[in-house]
Amino acid sequence: MNNTLTIEAKHSPEFLERLLRVCRHRGFSIVSINATIEQQLTHIELTVSSDREITLLTKQLDKVIGILTVTLLASSGNIKASA
Amino acid sequence: MNGANFVVHALKEQNVTQVFGYPGGAIMPLYDALFDGGVDHLLCRHEQGAAMAAIGYARSTGKVGVCIATSGPGATNLITGLADALLDSIPIVAITGQVPTHLIGTDAFQEVDVLGLSLACTKHSFMVETAEQLGPIIEQAFEIATSGRPGPVLIDIPKDIQVGPSVAYALAQLADTQKPLDQNLISHSKLLISEAKKPLLYVGGGVGMAKAVSELRTFIEQTQIPSVCTLKAIGCIQHDSTYFMGMVGMHGSKASNLAIQECDLLIAVGARFDDRVTGKLDEFAQHAKVIHLDVDAAEIDKLRQVTISMTDDLKQVLPAITVQPSIEQWQQHISEMKVTHANRYDHPGEPIFAPALLRQLAETMPADTVICSDVGQHQMWVAQHMFVDRPENHISSSGLGTMGFGVPAAVGAQVARPNDTVIAVSGDGSFMMNIQELGTIKRKQLPVKILLIDNQRLGMVRQWQELFFNGRFSETILTDNPDFVTLASAFDIPGETIVVKSQIEQALQRLLNSDGPYLLHVSISEEENVWPLVPPGAANDQMMESVG
Ligand SMILES: Cc1ncc(C[n+]2csc(CCOP(=O)(O)OP(=O)(O)O)c2C)c(N)n1
Ligand SMILES: [Mg+2]
Repeated sequence: MNNTLTIEAKHSPEFLERLLRVCRHRGFSIVSINATIEQQLTHIELTVSSDREITLLTKQLDKVIGILTVTLLASSGNIKASA
Repeated sequence: MNGANFVVHALKEQNVTQVFGYPGGAIMPLYDALFDGGVDHLLCRHEQGAAMAAIGYARSTGKVGVCIATSGPGATNLITGLADALLDSIPIVAITGQVPTHLIGTDAFQEVDVLGLSLACTKHSFMVETAEQLGPIIEQAFEIATSGRPGPVLIDIPKDIQVGPSVAYALAQLADTQKPLDQNLISHSKLLISEAKKPLLYVGGGVGMAKAVSELRTFIEQTQIPSVCTLKAIGCIQHDSTYFMGMVGMHGSKASNLAIQECDLLIAVGARFDDRVTGKLDEFAQHAKVIHLDVDAAEIDKLRQVTISMTDDLKQVLPAITVQPSIEQWQQHISEMKVTHANRYDHPGEPIFAPALLRQLAETMPADTVICSDVGQHQMWVAQHMFVDRPENHISSSGLGTMGFGVPAAVGAQVARPNDTVIAVSGDGSFMMNIQELGTIKRKQLPVKILLIDNQRLGMVRQWQELFFNGRFSETILTDNPDFVTLASAFDIPGETIVVKSQIEQALQRLLNSDGPYLLHVSISEEENVWPLVPPGAANDQMMESVG
């Protein structure tokens, strides 16, 4: 199951590492990721794939210090997103 | 004032009076500032010991524990302690020195990417990049360590920032906003509780962390709902509370595990459905609706789908959902189970039976004694057979199960509470994992009492080898242990060995009455196992029990 999220976070040098670590550790693999940094904010659009409920990831991301918002955009059972 | 002096000043502003650590090149400026900076520093003999002493300090007081290490090997040595604090949600601030900014990324002497290392074992971590950041980062670190679900926070400070000029900073006093309770959820909870025929409280470590022990006890008093607790919640409920059945889970009491399986409403308070508690998850409290109260929203529906959940402060929620159900039959049943499945201490022969000895110790030790446990069979016996009436008095590495935890945690607890008795209960395997901390005890002449339960085995692993690996005792036989009493005496710690039951009473008196530290080395049979045991993959009502 694929899910697409947008994430706004305060910029910090290690922020992407934090994000990717949480995704991997909680059992979500990255299908595609796009990150832009503007005025001390990191904006991310992320598609992940997993058998696990997406809320298991979004709740963990909500806890990451520096993340301001996590929004679930779309989910699809079978459409393969391109990287 | 340089950066290092500023750090000491900022620690004082956070009401820190005691830190634990070990010096080295990249943290030398901070040690220079600590030399006469007005914060007490205790030199531990390994950074892991310093981290665990900080944990013992934090757990025995409810304050933040602070530990300090140098870059590279100093920082890597802290990691196990940070992971321990993360899994048990303990507020720790760790400060590490880092190589000077211009050398970061050059593979400089004692350079390790500590920020990178910290990502998986802290609640949050910082690397200070400029002098301006120092003040706000230290303030945030303490705020993050203590707020919500507490945890360890690391601050990595390059040496040039420590020696460079500091930038004044006025504390921002981050405001705490508390949202009001959702009255719909409150009334729904009250309805579930009042309609339940077999409600059960499943109490976790979150109650102690939220400082909601008295609210919990009032709730229990007013509702008379039966209860069980996790390893980390021991002490939250008074041990002699009428319908309290003790610890639940893999080595929980039989009454607790049966009650969990029978209940029709499970009220999980500051608990997280850990696998050591639930056994086979699908069959855990299978017939129960669940009310889950936990400050960490990520714990809700993580392992168990619940009926109602609230992430508000337990101090607010517990009084709000108080309602008395009529459950006389269930209470009667619980009382009967408590009697039928009570712990038994009859044991044939002269050799010492550790559960009985620990029970006797609990009955004779002074009020407000702190027990710090190591990891293994002895840890489970402490949890099953000793009793304490404050969570601050039972300090055990619960989530990470870190061997070597007991002695350094006791060091931290004794420093924090110099007037209380502190007892480290250790095993012959665990004791050797942080044996160097006897040097810390000697240095400060800390009156830590050590009860070493020696089965000449890595007993917990041996038990599993006996039960689940066809008795193939691979690398668990420690008949070549050192002479522990002689070892302790090298650190000026007096001690004695006992081997038979008739020696126990007097030896416990000598342990408890010694002015300084003392080692009571107790030799027991390697064949004693921890019972009951929910075998891996089984439901909690399928407990294995002692034969004979
Ligand atoms: C650092 C660490 N390494 C390995 C283990 C696995 N382990 C759990 S209990 C145990 C044996 C502990 O032996 P001892 O301290 O003598 O206690 P006993 O079980 O004999 O009472 C081991 C090796 C662990 N928990 N922690
Ligand atoms: Mg042992």
